[in-house]
Amino acid sequence: MSSLGPILQATNVHKRYGATVALDEVSFSLYPGEVCGLLGENGAGKSTLVKILSGIVVPDAGQIVIDGRAYRPHNIIEARARGVSTAFQELSLIPTLSVAANLFLPRPKVNVIGLVTMRAIEEETETMLKEYGVSGVSPSTLVGDLSLGLRQRIEIVRAMLCRPRLLLLDEPTAAIADREWLFSLIDSFLAGGTAILYITHRLDEVRRLCKRCVILRNGKKVLDAALEGITDDQIFTNMAGRSVVEAYPVRESNIDEFAPPVLAAHQLSAAGVNDITFDLRRGEILGIAALEGQGQSSLFRALAGLERLKAGSIEVNGKPVRLRSPHTARDAGIVLVPEERKSEGIFNDLSTAANISIPIINQAARFNFIQTGKERQIVERAAALVDLNNRFLRPNINALSGGNQQKTILARSLLANAKCLLLFDPTRGVDVGTKHIIYQVIRNFAREGGAVFFFSTELDELVHLCDRSLVMYRNTIVAEVRKEELTPHLLLSLAAGHKIDADGTT
Amino acid sequence: MNQTSRDRRRPLPSSLFAALLYVVMFVIYSINAPSAITLLGITDLLNNTIVLAIAAAGLTLVILAAELDLSSVGVIAVSNVIVATVSTKIPAGPFVSLLLVCSVGLLVGLINGWLVAFLGLQSLACTLGTMIMCQGVALVILDAPGGEVAAFIMNRLTDTVFGIIPVAGVILAAVVSGWLLLRRTRLGIAIYAVGTDAVASHLTGINVKRTKLGVFGLAGIAYGLAGYMLSAQTGTGDPRVSNSFLLYVFAAVAIGGTSLGGGRGGVIGGVIGAGILTVMQKLLFAVGVADFYTNIFSGLIMVVAILFGNLSAILTLRQRVPLIRRPNREYSVH
Amino acid sequence: MDNTQSRTVSFTMLAVRPETITAVLVLLATVVMMLAMKALNPTFGSMGQIAAILTTSIFLVIASYGQGLVILLGGIDLSIGVVMSIAGMIIAGLTNGSNEALVWAIPVTLLSCFAIGLVNGLGVAFLKVPPFIMTLAVATAAFGVALGVTAGSSQRTVAPALQLLMSAQICGIPIPVLLIVCFFAAGSLLQSRTAEGRKLYAIGSSIAAARIVGLPIEALTVAAYGVSGLCASLAGMLLAGYSSGATLDMGDPFLMPSIAAVVIGGASVTGGKGIYFGTFAGAIFLSALSTIITVLSLSQGWRNIIQGGIIIIALILQTKQWYLQKMANRRLTGQGLANRALSQTSKV
Repeated sequence: MSSLGPILQATNVHKRYGATVALDEVSFSLYPGEVCGLLGENGAGKSTLVKILSGIVVPDAGQIVIDGRAYRPHNIIEARARGVSTAFQELSLIPTLSVAANLFLPRPKVNVIGLVTMRAIEEETETMLKEYGVSGVSPSTLVGDLSLGLRQRIEIVRAMLCRPRLLLLDEPTAAIADREWLFSLIDSFLAGGTAILYITHRLDEVRRLCKRCVILRNGKKVLDAALEGITDDQIFTNMAGRSVVEAYPVRESNIDEFAPPVLAAHQLSAAGVNDITFDLRRGEILGIAALEGQGQSSLFRALAGLERLKAGSIEVNGKPVRLRSPHTARDAGIVLVPEERKSEGIFNDLSTAANISIPIINQAARFNFIQTGKERQIVERAAALVDLNNRFLRPNINALSGGNQQKTILARSLLANAKCLLLFDPTRGVDVGTKHIIYQVIRNFAREGGAVFFFSTELDELVHLCDRSLVMYRNTIVAEVRKEELTPHLLLSLAAGHKIDADGTT
Repeated sequence: MNQTSRDRRRPLPSSLFAALLYVVMFVIYSINAPSAITLLGITDLLNNTIVLAIAAAGLTLVILAAELDLSSVGVIAVSNVIVATVSTKIPAGPFVSLLLVCSVGLLVGLINGWLVAFLGLQSLACTLGTMIMCQGVALVILDAPGGEVAAFIMNRLTDTVFGIIPVAGVILAAVVSGWLLLRRTRLGIAIYAVGTDAVASHLTGINVKRTKLGVFGLAGIAYGLAGYMLSAQTGTGDPRVSNSFLLYVFAAVAIGGTSLGGGRGGVIGGVIGAGILTVMQKLLFAVGVADFYTNIFSGLIMVVAILFGNLSAILTLRQRVPLIRRPNREYSVH
Repeated sequence: MDNTQSRTVSFTMLAVRPETITAVLVLLATVVMMLAMKALNPTFGSMGQIAAILTTSIFLVIASYGQGLVILLGGIDLSIGVVMSIAGMIIAGLTNGSNEALVWAIPVTLLSCFAIGLVNGLGVAFLKVPPFIMTLAVATAAFGVALGVTAGSSQRTVAPALQLLMSAQICGIPIPVLLIVCFFAAGSLLQSRTAEGRKLYAIGSSIAAARIVGLPIEALTVAAYGVSGLCASLAGMLLAGYSSGATLDMGDPFLMPSIAAVVIGGASVTGGKGIYFGTFAGAIFLSALSTIITVLSLSQGWRNIIQGGIIIIALILQTKQWYLQKMANRRLTGQGLANRALSQTSKV
């Protein structure tokens, strides 16, 4: 820590959206030469803070000072002008433009008559890519042709290019398998007396990189301290408001070993999926661990009937089926809870109740006319299963929080005799209370004989909830880990492509 | 471990197939109408093509930014009747009326752009509204076909320069050059970015609203110019809009390889597409197909154009593309 | 848990929701407009005139229902005008001034226009052609066919029964007015209270979610466009009866208003939102407006300017309506949302 004043000083930053307070009088400072971790559960306010610092969102109250001067940007350009640059979690790259063009957006260099000097830019890009240690990428390659890991690197390089005073890295390692590249980049970056705000939920990265961390919970800052003196459990408790042990329901396995597997795949190949074989039994919770973009999304889509198979087969209850459409999959008892809640999960314009009843709406109808009483019965029953308060049923679903929306989708999935739930990161963007309920729902479903296929980016969930976990890497399954051996560290190494030797070492 | 990029070869220009198709059609046409290869024939062909081509050029810009614009026929009608009513009545008529119609087009375009980008209205419905309003204005200015177009416009603009280069060709070349320049400006890159992913563009710092305002404005100017050229071609003013022409404008853009979903394609394709449709029409006429069949063809052509456009996109990109789709991302633009 | 709120978990789309308010407001605007007209011109607004306005609104009421269904899906039908004309020409041509052929002429007309609608639907659902292009293309092609078949000759005479239907009265109420009421009831029920109607709303709201849930998207799309063709043909037949004849362009003035009625009524052009009550109110409003424009002797040009302007104003007002909806939702979900994660934030 230097004796210079802070680069960033935020005082009582406050932001509310309607009835919800996203940031509640948050204050903290960042000093030159330090990497500060920003931790928090989903919905804690991290992303709002990032947006405010990046210039996308204007706070309702509070002051932010950068290098001694007031900081009130109205857009990204103004933020950059003051030396604040962000590598977004949702990449801000344009896939149809080249790497060079993306790196220089939005103000690529122009010549006298205002034309962009592509060749000069590409040359400069070439130099810069070397400087930042990104190899194997040509400046003229379209970003869309790059792997997700490379794209994330470009995003990070872009943020660093303008030599900011304050660099915001939002979940920068979600897709990168080689994290050392980033870590060494950070070390050299800090030499310039700048500061980095490192947003992540991975404790091991925070410990490796940061000396200090700030933890948000429910919009408030609950911890701002040096990492040396704090244990992992303390961090977790501050983030989640409860200790690790409480978070997960008791595990008892009820796997039916004798019946044919509810769902089985043999050498399954489809777009983005390569030679996958596994089976899933009644009462089993099977997990999948993977970095971003390793084929898990395509696998789920194929199992739900959304993608055509190129090779291989799928069996339901021991009998081969052709899942030609999600309708066929549903008939077979396979229900998908999709990745993108807002665009694929909810019917934004319908009421919550209508969202729940839609798959089986014909059951609540006589001569095709909807019987409101019957619909209400069905919906209330489903809502009770996910602990969704009845008062949320009538309004539009877009008035509900992310957590309640997710509960709605789960409630919908539990109707219509689902035998196998495909859950794709079901706790994404969901508050702590709802997560707990979702875990209960999963456990209950398995206990009553259903089967769950479960992808999560939170490795703790896989460790504590699953009976077994598969690991996907580069569109295929690279490992299977039994309950006894499940640890987050192991899953992470396997997901990053490291191999395990016979004696268990990597 | 090795993360190399799959360094594909650059995709072929999206208008390549359209260009090939045009050549084929032109050859067939010239076989049936030998006069097509003469200077007179080429001038004639260019004259027939230019209105559609300029309109398609303008529409392409809007479509590249992932919006729709139905107002082309409305602005063309207004421009046409303006020229037919004032070009003979004011000093420097041809020149002033050109300025006038381009300004009117720009105004309509800016209104469209403001409504769509700043008020957030849906572009299809909104430009439908402005199209109807424009037609109304055209009818108010001139309630029935008539009026008089200045002789200079009618004669000189449909003729040749230095006796060998058709004026229409020069104008087309100017439009295409304008596009080639625009494509390499910041605005040009921004158009493609916004059309591909408006949210990512916003995060990058591109001013999405201003970009959309820009494309609608430029398109409006193009439509004004197209209306001016229509006056040159027909020598008269007609306040009625033609539904099939609207269809043709979209068909031209689609055949040219521009994706109706935005982010892919270019003006050159639209111009070639206009050429294809015009040659096809002349071919049908030369072969002796009765006039009313062309209506049926218009309809069919349109559907085929879309399918063809998709096909050429698949082939020129040489992969089955789903471009990275991040639908409905969490950061909102407005 | 509040018991009263639990009891009022009513799923009637016709209950007092913002969409109903919009519809009522539009009807109110109609009344205000007519009163203003009456102030300007005291002879305006006789019972006979009002009856005439309601009678002539039937074409738009029916045609905009089909348009509304298609727009609910997120599409649009630009073939309605042409289909209306074709229907009129067919029924006139088949009946040719006498009632005998009516029995089979009506089904033939309905069926052929239904077929045109099916073509639209198939193109949109399976060929993935954008709706405005598909329907415009079909309209152009159909127009061409009709032009060729009729060789341009226009005037035909219609069966007297149809003409009688449009002009007669029961207990002093014009039959068309009774028909409007029945159609409104049937249409509303079909759109808002049936399972398939609910699915239309779902598809229009999020087609990706609809696919994942396994809804029959293609089938319903084809059906919706088919129904639209059906409605257009019904409207066309009635129009022929009213005009005692049919021409090839008589349906054209109804295309834009059919879209305008839907938009004015508060439906979203991107689909998933809006009730028939709104469209119905919009249709009445536009018919009244049309009559007023005629009485004011405004030229066709001004008519267009006003129509176009109304569409845009309605679109702008819609953005306000959704704001109203948001406020209503907030009140219904109550205050205990302190732990509500933000719908606008990203997943972290």
